[in-house]
Amino acid sequence: MSTTDLDGASHEPEKHYDRVHEAWRLIMGEEFHYGYFATPTTPLEQATAALTAQMLQRAGIGAGDRVLDVGCGTGRQACDLVEEYDARVLGITTSGAGVAAATELAASRGLPGATFEQRDGTDNGLPDGSFDVVWALESSHLMRDRRALLSEAARVLAPGGRLVLCDIINRRRIPFLEVRARRDDFAVLRAAFGDAHMLPLSDYTGWLEELGLQVSDATDISDETLPTFEAWRSNCATHEQQVVELIGEQARDEFVRSCDILEGLWNDGTFGYGILGAAKP
Amino acid sequence: MTADRVRGVIATFLTGAKKAFDPELPGDTDLYGGGLELDSLEAAELSAMLEDEFGTDPFSAGEEMPETVGEVLAFYEAAATA
Repeated sequence: MSTTDLDGASHEPEKHYDRVHEAWRLIMGEEFHYGYFATPTTPLEQATAALTAQMLQRAGIGAGDRVLDVGCGTGRQACDLVEEYDARVLGITTSGAGVAAATELAASRGLPGATFEQRDGTDNGLPDGSFDVVWALESSHLMRDRRALLSEAARVLAPGGRLVLCDIINRRRIPFLEVRARRDDFAVLRAAFGDAHMLPLSDYTGWLEELGLQVSDATDISDETLPTFEAWRSNCATHEQQVVELIGEQARDEFVRSCDILEGLWNDGTFGYGILGAAKP
Repeated sequence: MTADRVRGVIATFLTGAKKAFDPELPGDTDLYGGGLELDSLEAAELSAMLEDEFGTDPFSAGEEMPETVGEVLAFYEAAATA
């Protein structure tokens, strides 16, 4: 899950990134994304690993595969893919601080096969057909031009290559007057998680088919991801003192409120979570 | 009510939202893609700000949603002459 600065403070970017990231790590766990819960009481670490496993199952990554991790965040996923699957992974993010942190992580783990560059997923500038797998874990919701993201993914895939993507989705159209009535809630989410835009899973699959990819599956896993919010709230309470020291009381409160809002939007069928796999013929 | 007052409210909103915009706010400026790039939440926030200022707003008046700055101005111009 991508997050943003909540306290509005101005800091040297890399240090600030580390400070905020440390808070999110305490709240969201080491893998830093939603969980796929077998039961509501499944531990968060187990659930986040299960979501990654859902992605891996669709990606079919083998030794030597060239993987593009779009919106690589902290670089944790890219490093894991290199270490566990002997893949060669390029992680890209628009955040310079993210590239620095991810590069440092790969060096600390002794993983030269994991490299990171500052690039835009919607206009990545990488050569055609240069990857076996494009991996986008919870990064697409921050990219305004979603079709461009998918087009770029399709372009850089080699024939036979696979795209795997999971993210928050929109499960129904929200009428304008409802957006207006609930604007305070949506503004809280924007403050906590950045300028996110959710789309229906069918938009992703429609665009992929237009781009000539074969969608192998597109699955709504909203029910399986719902317990994530309770787990995050619980971690906020468990690590309250440390979280407040790192990001401040206001940011902590806004994060907890955003969990409540998102949980409500999951429960009323507005937002949810989807995962898909597609292949380039 | 003058077009300048309406433009002033739009400019105040855009400044607060950290949006890049032409200070003249020409009438043909698109509110969404290719122009001010408002998303639905930002349009809702601008709608509320206009209503707070003028008592009504073109986004929630039940008619066609405005697409350009000029259409916002035209809504208030029509209201003033009605």
